[in-house]
Amino acid sequence: MENMPEFTLHRPDTAEEAAKLKASDDSSRYLAGGTDMIVNVRRGIEAPETMIDLTAIGEITQIAVDGDGLRIGAGVKLADLCVHADIVAKYPAIAQAAASVAGPTHRSYGTIGGNLCLDTRCLFYNQSQWWRESNNFCLKHKGEVCHVAPGGKRCFAAFSGDVAPALMVYGAEVDLVGPGGERTIPLPDLYRNDGMDHLTLEKDELLVSIRLPAPPAGSLSAYEKSRIRGSIDFPLAGCAVLLTSDGGQLSELQIALTAVNPFPQMVKGTDDFVGKPLDDEALDAIRDIVRTQAKPMRTTTVRPWYRRRVVGALARKLVMRLASV
Amino acid sequence: MDGNGTPPSPVKSIGVPLPMVDGPEKISGRAQYTSDFYDPSALAGAIKRSTVAHARILNVDTSAAEALHGVHAVITGSETDEGHGVLPISRTELPIAHDKVRYRGEPVAAVAADSIEIAIKACGLIKVEYDELPAYFTAEEALSEDAIDLHDHREGNIERHVEFEIGDPDEGFAEADLVHETEYHCAEVCQVQTEPHAAYAEYDGERDELTVRASTQVPYYVHLMLSKILKMPKSKIRVIKPYIGGGFGCRTEALNVEMITAMLARRAKGTVRTVISREDTFITHRGRQEQTVKIRMGMAKDGRVTAVDCKTIQRGGAHSGYGIVTILYAGSMLFAIYDLHHVRYDGKRVLTNTPPCGAFRGHGTVNTRHAFENAMDEMAEKLGLDPFEVRRINLIKELGFTASDQWINSYGLPECLDVVERASGWRDRIGNLPPGKGLGLGCSHYISGASKPVNWTGEPHATINLKLDFDGSVVILTGASEIGQGSNTILVQCVAEVLGIDPSRVKVVDADSRVTPKDNGSYSSRVTYMVGNAAIEAANNLKGVLMEAAARKFEVSPEDVECLGEVYRAGTQDEGMTFEEVVMAALEGTGTITVKGNFDTLPESWGGKKYRGAAIGGTMAFSYAAQVVEVTVDPNTAEITVDKVWVAHDCGKALNPLTVEGQIQGSVWMGMGQALTEETAYHDGLLISGNMLDYRVPTFVDSPPIETHIVESNDPHGPFGAKEAGEASLAGFLPALTSAVANAMGVRVHELPVTPDRLLQLLEDKEREMRAATAAE
Amino acid sequence: MKSYLSLQVNGRQRDDAVSGNLLLVDYLREVVGLTGTKIGCDGGECGLCTVLIDGKAQHSCLTLAATCNGKSVETIESLGDGGRLSAIQRGFHEKLGAQCGFCTPGMVMAAEGLLRENPEPDEETIRTEMASNICRCTGYVKIIEAVQFAVEELKSKKEAA
Repeated sequence: MENMPEFTLHRPDTAEEAAKLKASDDSSRYLAGGTDMIVNVRRGIEAPETMIDLTAIGEITQIAVDGDGLRIGAGVKLADLCVHADIVAKYPAIAQAAASVAGPTHRSYGTIGGNLCLDTRCLFYNQSQWWRESNNFCLKHKGEVCHVAPGGKRCFAAFSGDVAPALMVYGAEVDLVGPGGERTIPLPDLYRNDGMDHLTLEKDELLVSIRLPAPPAGSLSAYEKSRIRGSIDFPLAGCAVLLTSDGGQLSELQIALTAVNPFPQMVKGTDDFVGKPLDDEALDAIRDIVRTQAKPMRTTTVRPWYRRRVVGALARKLVMRLASV
Repeated sequence: MDGNGTPPSPVKSIGVPLPMVDGPEKISGRAQYTSDFYDPSALAGAIKRSTVAHARILNVDTSAAEALHGVHAVITGSETDEGHGVLPISRTELPIAHDKVRYRGEPVAAVAADSIEIAIKACGLIKVEYDELPAYFTAEEALSEDAIDLHDHREGNIERHVEFEIGDPDEGFAEADLVHETEYHCAEVCQVQTEPHAAYAEYDGERDELTVRASTQVPYYVHLMLSKILKMPKSKIRVIKPYIGGGFGCRTEALNVEMITAMLARRAKGTVRTVISREDTFITHRGRQEQTVKIRMGMAKDGRVTAVDCKTIQRGGAHSGYGIVTILYAGSMLFAIYDLHHVRYDGKRVLTNTPPCGAFRGHGTVNTRHAFENAMDEMAEKLGLDPFEVRRINLIKELGFTASDQWINSYGLPECLDVVERASGWRDRIGNLPPGKGLGLGCSHYISGASKPVNWTGEPHATINLKLDFDGSVVILTGASEIGQGSNTILVQCVAEVLGIDPSRVKVVDADSRVTPKDNGSYSSRVTYMVGNAAIEAANNLKGVLMEAAARKFEVSPEDVECLGEVYRAGTQDEGMTFEEVVMAALEGTGTITVKGNFDTLPESWGGKKYRGAAIGGTMAFSYAAQVVEVTVDPNTAEITVDKVWVAHDCGKALNPLTVEGQIQGSVWMGMGQALTEETAYHDGLLISGNMLDYRVPTFVDSPPIETHIVESNDPHGPFGAKEAGEASLAGFLPALTSAVANAMGVRVHELPVTPDRLLQLLEDKEREMRAATAAE
Repeated sequence: MKSYLSLQVNGRQRDDAVSGNLLLVDYLREVVGLTGTKIGCDGGECGLCTVLIDGKAQHSCLTLAATCNGKSVETIESLGDGGRLSAIQRGFHEKLGAQCGFCTPGMVMAAEGLLRENPEPDEETIRTEMASNICRCTGYVKIIEAVQFAVEELKSKKEAA
C-alpha cells in the first residue's frame, strides 16, 4: 500500500456544488485528472481534509461553439483538446501546447483546467516530506527561507503549465463559478507574480470554462517548449506566438511565455514591431525583449541562464517560421 | 524415425533466437516480484532516515514510536554491531547507523507496524539527537587538509589510492610525436532499475529460522551478510530471489533494505514486508560515482599511442561498498583493448558525505574509457588522422598476455570496427555532412566475469545441478540470478544443446538457497561464461549417464551409442529408444538422477601480480564493442538529437542472438542516458534528483534506432565460444556522442551529461571567440 | 470514511467499500489481489502502473479508486487469447519486448490502449503515444518491434476474418 494521507472525498456533479464544498473547508482541494494534485498529496505538500473530485461534473467536459469563438470546458482532457478539429484548424498553438504536456498517458486524463491551475514548481518544493524537512522546508511551504534566493521574502517557484501561454495569445478569458455566481476575467488576470500564491481565484471559486474569441483573420500561431527529454518533462521554458504578417511586415504580434516566471505572461512591447520590416535586426530584438522579460530562477536542475537563452531562441525561431522570413 | 526412415536429428538450441523461457510469466503479470508477496499477517516495514549529512548520533528516543498502537517492532543502530560490505577487509557499513551518520538518508531506525501509515507515523515519532560534523560533498572537500575523517580506519578520507606504472612511461612519452593532456568530468549516475528495492522476511520463532525474499542480484551474498548481521547460523537462513525488476549493478551487494527487514521480522517475531519508495531507492544508490579523469597521452605521427598517464579521482560516497574494486578496475581496464605498453595510473577513491556508490553496469571502466577515447580523438584531429585509423593502428597484434598480465584469448575488435565503419557509411559521410550533423566513434570492452572471486573459498566458480526423473523433464537447479538478462534461458539452451533435446523439456528452478546450488550472483557479466560452462559440464555428465543406460539396454558399449536428442540408437539400422525410454532405463536401480557440473577459471586468467590489486581486471575472456553515433544539433537551442547508432559487439558466440541483441541495445541506450540526460544532483548532500522527473531516464522519443551487429570471435574457453554481451557496449557510447557533437559543432564537451545548457555555453563561447578574432583582424 | 465502489475489473463486476484516499493501484493489488500492475515511482513518472479505464490508458498510482465508480478497469491480467498470449503479448514475447519484465504490464497496457485507438500506428506514433512509459532494459528498440509484430498479427487476423 502506498502511503496516502487521509481525506474525505466528495464527487459533486455540478460546478455550483463543487464551489460550495470548497467554501466549506479551508484545507479542501479540487481534484481533476490528478496528475499533479495526487503527486503533491503523496508528498505531503498538499494535506487537504476534503478532496473535491471534479470528474463527475458533466457540464465542464464539452467544447462548444460560442459565437465566433469557442468555449472549452475546464474538464476537457488534454488528449481530446489537441485533436479537436476546430482547435487544430483555428488555434494551432493550443493544440501544440496541449500535445506537449507531460506524456500521452498524462494527457489522456489530465485536464485543461488542471493545467491552467497547476501549482508552481520548484526544486526545493516538489520533494518528499523527508526531503523538505531535511532542508528546513521553504518559504512556499512551512518554512522561513527561500532556497532559490536566500534572504529574499519572495517565492520564485515557476508556473509550468504549457497551455496558458497558448490560450493567452488568442485573448482567452476564463469563467469562474463561485457562491456569488459566475464571473469572466481575461486569462492573464487569473495569475499574479507570486510563486507562493499565483492564482487569483477566490478560495470558493472554480474555473469552469475558457472562452476563445475568433482568431484574428489571417493570423498564424504556434507553441514550442524546451525540455531535456521529449516527453514527461515539464517545460524549462515555453513560448507561444501569434502573428499576422503582410509582405515582410507584421500587422500583429503576440508572445506569451511559461515556466520562466511564477506566472504565465504576455510579453510586453511586441506592438513596437508592428508595421516595421521583420529583418534580422528585428528578430534579434524580439529575442532580446523576451529574454529581458523572462526571469527564470534556480527552480530546476537546469541553469536559469540556459532557460533565459532558450526562451528567446524559441520566440525568435517561432516568429521567423510563422512569418516565413 | 519419420515415415521416410530419416532418423530425427538432435535439436539445435545454441545460436537460436529463443524467446525467454520465463517470458509468458512476465508478460501476463503472473511473475511474482518481491513486492508482490502479500500475507494478511505481514507487517509493513518502514525506515527512518537521517536528515543530516554528517553527525554523531547522541541519542535515539523510540519510546513514543513504541507506544503507538499497531507498532510491533522498533529497531535502531544498536540492533547489531556487525557491519556489512563487499570486501572482507572493509565490512564496516552498518545496516542502521549507530554512532555516526555519514550521508543524508542513511537509515537511523526502522519500524514494523500493522500498516504502512502507522509505520511511517511511528518513524516520525522517533527522535534522533545529532551532533553535527562538517560534511564533504565533493572529493575535493573531503581531501582538503583540514577535513575530518568519515571513518577512523580511512585516513584523509581516502578509501584506496592505487598507483602503478607498467613499462616505461617516460620512455613512451619521449617516443611520441605529440603529447597531449585532457580532462573529463562525469556526473554521478544511478541505475534506476524499474523495481524499487523490496524485501519480505518471515521469521519462524519456533525454530529460530528466517526466510528472506529480496530484490537482489546476489542472494548468496545476502545470505552471508544476513548471517553476519543477525549472528544466526547460515543453516537457519533461507534466501529466495523472486523475479527481479532489473539491477544493473545496484543490487550486487547486500543492501540495508533486506538486512533491516530481516532484523525487524526477528524482532517482531513475524513476517515483515518492506517496499521502499523510488526516492529511497535512489538514496540507497550504489550507482556510478562522480569522477574526474585526466589523461596525458603520447602519440606517434601515425596514431600509435606510445604512453598513457591517467590520473583519476572518484567521489565514492559515505561507505566502502565496491569502492576499492572500482578504483582498481578504472586502472586495469585501461589495458586489454589496445596494444599499450607504457602506462602510469594514479587513482584515488574518496569517501564523501553522499550516498554510497557501487558497481553500475560497465563497473569501473566507463568513465576512464570515455576520457581515453576522447583523448584519442582529440589527438587524431591534431594529427589529421581518421578516428578509425587511430583505433586500427593501436589494435592488439597477437593474442596472449597484455603488459599488465591480463589474458586475451579472443579479440573481435578489428571486425567490430570494420562492421560499424561499413554500416554507418562512415567513409563517405564523414566530412560531408550538412551543418549541425555529426558522426562519432567509440570503442569499449568488458570482462566475462572476474576470474578471482571476492569471497575466496576454494569452491568452484560455478556449480549446476541437473535432476532427471520419471517425467522425462530435465530440471536445472541453479543459484544464478535471473534478473532479466536471460540467464535462465541461456542455461536451458546450453543444457538442451548438449543433450540435443527440445528446450521445452528443460525446466529451471533458480536462486533458492534451500534447493539450488550456491552461486556468487549476477555481476561482472559472469553468468553466461561461468555458469554456462558449468551447465555444459553437467549436461555432458547427464548425457553420459543416459548413454550408459542406453548401452545397457542395447547391450553395446557406451561409445557405440548414438545420441540423436530425442532418440538414442546403437547403429544406423537400429530403431532406437526414445528419450523417455532411455530415462526409464537410467532410473532402474538408482531412482532419480542428479548430476553436477562445475566451472573454474584458469590461473593464467587471474591477472598477474604487477601491482597490488592487479587481480581486479583478470578474466577468462574480454568482450569488445565499437559504435558509431550520429547526432543532429539545433544551433539555436543546443538540443541534441541522436539520430542513429550502429553498434557491433564481439560476444564470442551468440548463444541466443535475440537476447544478445537485447543486451547490446540496452547497454548502448544506458550509455546514452549517462551521456545526455542523467545526473544525480545534490543540494548540500541532499539528493535533489531523487525522482524520475528530475533524474531523466530517456523516454521512447529520446531513443534512437540502434542497428545491432553481432561479431563472433569464438572464445576458446567460453561456453560454445561465448563471452559476455551485456556490458561492453555501454562505455563506447559516451565518447562516440561527444565526438559526434564535436564533429557537428566544432566544440567538444568535457562534462557529462551533455545537456543543452552545457553545450550552448560552449557554442556561445566559441562564437564570441570567433567574433573577437574577426574584430582583431 | 468509506464509500461504495461498484465497477468492472477485467470484465467482472466488483462491489467494495473503499476509503476516499485509496489509490486505484493499491485497490487492484491489495484489495482485488491483482499484482500484475506494478509500482515503479512515487507518482506518475514511470508508467509502470498503467491500466485502462474505460479503454484509455491511465496511471493507477495517481487515480483514486473511488473515482472509478461505474467504470471499467482493465489490467494486464485481462489480456489473453483463449488461454494463450494476446497478439500484443505475443509480440513482447517473441520480439523480446520484455527483459526484466517489471515495466512490461504497464507497457503492454499502454500498447493495448494505443492499438484500440489506432490499430496501425507507424513507428513515430508508437514512440510518441507510449512515451509515458519508461523501460530501463531494452532501449525501447525491441518494444517497438513487439508492437509492430502485434499490428501485423492483428491485421492478418482481421483480413482472415
